[in-house]
Amino acid sequence: MDADARIEAACSFILQSPPGEINDVLNDVRNIISDDETLEEGVLPALKEYNLTQFITVDIPGTEHQSIISEAARLPASEDGEERWIDPRSKQSFVFNHLTLEATDPQPFEPDGDAEEFRSSLEKASLNYLLAHFHDGVTSIFVKPGVTNHFIVQIVANKYNPSNYWSGRWRSEYVVDLNEHTVQGKILVNIHYYEQGNVQLSTTHDISIKLPPPVVTASPSAAASKILALIETEEGNYQTSLNDTYHEMSEKTFKSLRRALPMTRQKLDWDKVLGYKLGAELSSSKGTFSSS
Amino acid sequence: MADLVDSMLDLMRRLPPTRTEENVSALVGLCPDYADDLLGSVDQPLQVKTDRLTGREYLACDYNRDGESYRSPWSNEYDPPLEDGTVPVPKLRKLEISANEAFDTYREMYFEGGVSSVYLWDLEDGGFAGVVLLKKTMTPSTPQEPSGSWDSIHVFETAERGRQAHYKLTSTIMLQLITKKGSEGDNSDSEKKNNNGEKKVPENWKRDGEVTLSGSMTRQTEQDWPIQDSSSHITNTGRMIEEMEIKMRNLLQEVYFGKTRDIIYDLRSVDDLEKTRRQRELQKELVGFIKR
Repeated sequence: MDADARIEAACSFILQSPPGEINDVLNDVRNIISDDETLEEGVLPALKEYNLTQFITVDIPGTEHQSIISEAARLPASEDGEERWIDPRSKQSFVFNHLTLEATDPQPFEPDGDAEEFRSSLEKASLNYLLAHFHDGVTSIFVKPGVTNHFIVQIVANKYNPSNYWSGRWRSEYVVDLNEHTVQGKILVNIHYYEQGNVQLSTTHDISIKLPPPVVTASPSAAASKILALIETEEGNYQTSLNDTYHEMSEKTFKSLRRALPMTRQKLDWDKVLGYKLGAELSSSKGTFSSS
Repeated sequence: MADLVDSMLDLMRRLPPTRTEENVSALVGLCPDYADDLLGSVDQPLQVKTDRLTGREYLACDYNRDGESYRSPWSNEYDPPLEDGTVPVPKLRKLEISANEAFDTYREMYFEGGVSSVYLWDLEDGGFAGVVLLKKTMTPSTPQEPSGSWDSIHVFETAERGRQAHYKLTSTIMLQLITKKGSEGDNSDSEKKNNNGEKKVPENWKRDGEVTLSGSMTRQTEQDWPIQDSSSHITNTGRMIEEMEIKMRNLLQEVYFGKTRDIIYDLRSVDDLEKTRRQRELQKELVGFIKR
């Protein structure tokens, strides 16, 4: 395998990392590739892609809160090619290291004047929603650049428990379009349980909601809390529906793959199993006899 | 360099079980010198092949492979044909034929479909070893129907000690369950679940999603059983494998699936956490009030 193919394989492993296990995967990959120099540079794009798609959170300097690193948080690259990210909540931009996951060089960030009122209303409503339903959630609300009246609500909740061999991540994202009065959303859940095994749950759920007229005509703060109430209902229903899916999987799918016990409700009588076979053969050969 | 193999195995324990084959082949490409160590330690989904002579399906794995060819347990022939492919000595082949018949009955009783194969080989120290393979795949007839697969790989070694035989069994089960969900409009389902009575679920909802639960687990056991003749090995391993599969099926269902579902609730709570917090505060206040 040539150097490029080796890096490509390493990148693929990194992108498959379960929640909170990127460093473990990276350590394994370092050992396997055993060429730190090539690796470090080569896998940086994959680390970045992983951080963006997985809604990796970052401590914002000078604040008590975290913000989400995602495509929506990226500022257009400056002339010197430096990439900066924004935390709309603290109105700061910063440089982000995709390997150490640290934010540095915070600078004030001037928000879009017209959009800021609605954005901060969504932020307030979303923070309240987090308090009500997530144990360790982080939310960031972005103004979608390049289009008017578009907002992006992102939520992520992580729990890493390596000493008990499990980890989990809940991600959701909603694009609120106040021109078309729609919300396009998706919920993604990833769970890894690996005590003496490797079991993974991976779910996707796409939602498209048409906002009812009362929401559209309401004041920004009332509309924002109504939108978050819709999201709350949808996410609650989804979580409950996963229970039904689990039930269905264990009652139907699991059972039709392999029964808990045979139809007889008894374990096999192995002394007879060989005999049964013999009997079946005898009767089938009898069948051939009589038909011929 | 056991270190390297450990890293590969650790990696395989973390990456999604749904992508085992792809990841194993990438690792083999990265470290061809350790291919045998890896292939010997990581179980992969079994391939179904059709015996050209009997037309019966059989399962292919590393244990019935010689070069690029696989041996069928039904005709004992290799495909593509081999002039001098390794086959069991006549005495062991006789036992292999009986074992295949017995486990075919077992397969029918528990899986009600699917494919089974048993392969036996002599060990250098005088005993023999074998592998019992079982596979069932559910292929949905419509996209909304659940799909899934079950693969069992039971490898055993046995040594006779007078009228007793000692067995060492290593069992791996690989499981995959996929459920697709989709709904449109204000269906009664969402109305029904919205039982908080606060607001109606609006019209024009669209939902689309998929739940994938996949996993692999391995367990080992060592047991002694009495033997009368060589067919005792079939009844003994039969009982051990049956017991092991029942135990592992329960573990998968109760522990693994139950655990991944519980972790979702560690991320997000269906109930309003703020309300609970407020109630607790109120209770504390009341208790304090009464004490005064």
